Amino acid sequence: MREITLSKAVNEAIAEEMRRDPTVFLMGEDVAEAGTPFKVLSGLVEEFGTERVIDTPISEPGFVGLAVGAAMTGTRPIVDLMFGDFIFLVMDQLCNQAAKTHYMSGGKLSVPMVLRTNMGATRRSAAQHSQSLHALVAHIPGLKVAMPSSAYEAKGLMKTAIRDNNPVVIFEDKLMYQDKAPVPEEEYLIPFGVANVKREGSDITLIGTSSMVQVAEAAAEILAKEGISAEVIDPRTIVPLDEETLIKSVRKTSRAIVIDEGHQSYGVTGEIAARLNEKAFYHLDAPVVRMGAMDVPVPFSPALEDITVPTAEGVAAMARKLCAGEMIHAA
Amino acid sequence: MAKAAKTNTEDYLRMYTQMVRIRAFEDNANQLYLSAKMPGLTHMYSGQEAVAVGICEALTPDDKITSTHRGHGHCVAKGAEFKAMFCELLGKEEGYCRGKGGSMHIADQSNGNLGANAIVGGSMGIATGAALSSKMQKSGQVAVCFFGDGATAQGLWYEVMNMAALWGLPVIYACENNGYSEYTKTDEIAAGSITARAEAFGIESYDLDGQDVLAVNDLTQKLVARCRKGEGPFFMNLKTYRYHGHHVGDINRDYYRTKDEEAEWKTTRDPITNFGKWLEGEKIVTAEELVAINDSVRQEAEEAVAYALDAKYPDVSEVDMHVYVA
Amino acid sequence: MPLDVIMPALGMAQDSGVIVSWLKQPGDAVAEGDALFEVETDKATMEVEAQGKGYLTDVTAAAGEAVPVGQVIAQISDTAEGSGKPPAPKSGAEPAPASEASGRTMPEGREVIMPALGMAQDSGLLVSWQKAPGDKVGADDTLFEVETDKAAMEVPAGFDGYIAALLAEAGEDIPVGGVVAIISKDKPEEPFAQSAASVGRPAPSTKAPMPEKAETADGTPAAAKPKPTTPVTAPRADGRILASPKARRLALERGLDLQRLVDAGHAQPFHVRDLEALAHLPSASAGPAPAPGSAARRLSAEVAADGFDDLCLWASDSLGIGDANALLAGFAAACLRRDDTPLTVDVVAFGSVQAYADPDRPWLGQATAHSPEGVPALRIRDLRHSALCSVEMGPEDCPTLTLTQRGATVSVTLECGADQLSAEAALTLLTGFAGRMEQPLRHLL
Repeated sequence: MREITLSKAVNEAIAEEMRRDPTVFLMGEDVAEAGTPFKVLSGLVEEFGTERVIDTPISEPGFVGLAVGAAMTGTRPIVDLMFGDFIFLVMDQLCNQAAKTHYMSGGKLSVPMVLRTNMGATRRSAAQHSQSLHALVAHIPGLKVAMPSSAYEAKGLMKTAIRDNNPVVIFEDKLMYQDKAPVPEEEYLIPFGVANVKREGSDITLIGTSSMVQVAEAAAEILAKEGISAEVIDPRTIVPLDEETLIKSVRKTSRAIVIDEGHQSYGVTGEIAARLNEKAFYHLDAPVVRMGAMDVPVPFSPALEDITVPTAEGVAAMARKLCAGEMIHAA
Repeated sequence: MAKAAKTNTEDYLRMYTQMVRIRAFEDNANQLYLSAKMPGLTHMYSGQEAVAVGICEALTPDDKITSTHRGHGHCVAKGAEFKAMFCELLGKEEGYCRGKGGSMHIADQSNGNLGANAIVGGSMGIATGAALSSKMQKSGQVAVCFFGDGATAQGLWYEVMNMAALWGLPVIYACENNGYSEYTKTDEIAAGSITARAEAFGIESYDLDGQDVLAVNDLTQKLVARCRKGEGPFFMNLKTYRYHGHHVGDINRDYYRTKDEEAEWKTTRDPITNFGKWLEGEKIVTAEELVAINDSVRQEAEEAVAYALDAKYPDVSEVDMHVYVA
Repeated sequence: MPLDVIMPALGMAQDSGVIVSWLKQPGDAVAEGDALFEVETDKATMEVEAQGKGYLTDVTAAAGEAVPVGQVIAQISDTAEGSGKPPAPKSGAEPAPASEASGRTMPEGREVIMPALGMAQDSGLLVSWQKAPGDKVGADDTLFEVETDKAAMEVPAGFDGYIAALLAEAGEDIPVGGVVAIISKDKPEEPFAQSAASVGRPAPSTKAPMPEKAETADGTPAAAKPKPTTPVTAPRADGRILASPKARRLALERGLDLQRLVDAGHAQPFHVRDLEALAHLPSASAGPAPAPGSAARRLSAEVAADGFDDLCLWASDSLGIGDANALLAGFAAACLRRDDTPLTVDVVAFGSVQAYADPDRPWLGQATAHSPEGVPALRIRDLRHSALCSVEMGPEDCPTLTLTQRGATVSVTLECGADQLSAEAALTLLTGFAGRMEQPLRHLL
């Protein structure tokens, strides 16, 4: 199968959906000729014109607000938020407006829009361009949240997001834009709420999101050499979350580590760990461990930044302890 | 009162009736709230009727509006029915939003009302977005964004005006300038000229008397027609007055405005009384006919209230319904 | 038609409003917009206006009353007389003395508290006051007399000043630390005295917290907290066993006692893999002193064999019931049952096991057998036709009744863990079962 970059996969997904459905359009800062700073959208304006690939002023609340209104009235906007960190700017439009419109109108109005943005540290961009803020929006009922872990997921999830009748936020890891993965030529969609068991194992379950799936897979490789069999699962969407697959796996392995690049406190790792605790408790032979980004603003210095995110070695070390029955934080 | 040719009796009577309907709705809503029969909090539109009616009477049901926390008037003016509105105010299943929105969130999609909004200025993006999709789909629809003078302090407005002007969107920003930003005089929170702010984006702007339903309607008709031709956006600064406090319960408001001022507006500038007098003067209706309109509207409102009070609450199984589109 | 004047809902989450004052009197003429009364809500004090004109009548709530929102408190009538009905009784018009007393604002000054004088004294009985409200006092002047568990003592004022308030009466028992008086610097304008009971028990003054008792009841120093160690090999002082949830669940399912791993000195926390070691430990009786929970019970009884044999014959001939096991299970279940919880009895006979769910429910011996599943409430081993005459097997995963026979005598032996059946329940079960074996009529009756 051909291999393409994650960037190309996103571009293909949007182009295919814009060809399929004339109500789909794209708006955001520098999405047209510039094709975004990461060049993810290059070439789209040439095919679809400036009427459907709209450069906006640097007015995040403004153009997200426009997208909400446009989505409520017959179109399907894809909004490009240049950096995930800017999500703080659009919170009212996203969380007070888009997320609640369907519910507050008793089901009469809907907001079929996609907000695509990014996440991920270690790009030496410091604290305002490196955050992974997906937990913030995952907290709000009414929004769906997808986190592609490779080019394959990026394309399939984007196409599903565009066809979904709810507001969907997609977080792409900006460090993965140039990563290649096999992506079929023929059309496919990846349904929301269906986790992907990337690797089967029997001793411990490693649940990773976005780039942390790669970290989990690398950790599983290390562990395999030591005779520890790790199962790796990618939930693919955190809202909706495929709880069943996660619980089934942990009931089998009795141990789990949840890895996510958001801050560890009050985050996705904690949410998933809590659900496993509630629903697989009597099958746990070790505490479910969270591994998120350190609870510090992302530092600029490479020497500091690199230690804030979970690594394959760190995950493997923790898995080793859990499988050996070592006590983790216990008296 | 603006000069208007006596051309369309039916339209005039409809405008009068719609204003009376809003007033009757609010009087009943006020009473429901004060007597603790209505949950939550609510904001009265009384006094501003000419704005909602003058504008909405210039729109088709397909044209869109976005409304505010003080939104009952817009909802009635855009064609909503009393029963479903009162049911919504009381959180009943037959409400416009099945009781999930309440006073501050009534949306009536069937008449193009994209919903009231409890975030001040929160719907400015939505209205502008509706205009964007109208332009993209070439539907000819116009969007009117109602907001108060308080919302002119929200940054969102300047962002969306910029885009609306850049892209020539068919949106009319209608500032209902009732002189008070919640519990504070607007003069104390707004620098310079509000109209000039819109003009800075190259948006054609108008100051007008929001108590004069014919003047509001005339101008809106012209602006709507121009919007449909691609000449939007526009801005209207409509001088009006809210008879009640910021919300029901804000009754001792001497610290921000005087009783004399309120009495002055109510006695000399009431949009309904003055339009009624004009209709009589123009021999379009008799005083008796106006009384008959008032009586029949009052009766309709009271029946709707009684209906809503008896209506049933949504089943608890609805609590997690409509979080997502299925 | 008169207009109702209601207590309006004005606040965000307001249930009631307090009428501060009426600004119009009954019979007064009012115009729409006239201020009628002042109301205090959670937000502020506000004036409420008349909604129409007329005469204020039928006022049913007085100043000071808290009135639920939505309640009618007066009417605006066409005449000054109103409805002519006598006003409704005023709810809360006569405030209870206690609330009045507690509503009194405390004067400023130093708090005098009930002192802790004895070793284990919780309260002191106030015998008498030596000063009256308004009196001038010196720090060393005796203020009151108190009786503790030891003796009666005089308590000095402790501060110079004036008695602004006495907050307890002679004869009252006051908790140690409770405020009993206030001494003000300046001569108080309205000194007063009240009983502690009128305002509830005085709270211990936060300024004088009771010192933590340094010793436990028997005088030995409190045990130091066990230091956490990793891994734990010695039993924890708190008796808690550290084990994973899965290990605990499997141990329970397999009838394994984790305490035995502790006793054998295995390192905690226990995981699933430790269960294997547990399963291979020598049996409890051979090991160190058994834990209290694993003690065994063994009871036996002897009955004549013919009673039950006759019943079986009769049931088979007259009723066509040939399942003697169902009869046994029914007897046992009837003696074991405490409530309506489903109850399964397994019967092991001639090498096969049959399970009976609630065998005491259908009439005599009509319970149907099914294949066993999980651990039953009771197991019956029918060894009457074997050569065995006595058994001592020790506790199993459930209580077990073993039937053996020697000549015309049947022995019934009940064995179980102490944690499976209480002594009383074990006695009831065996006595009842043996009785039914001997005289089946007892069961039928």
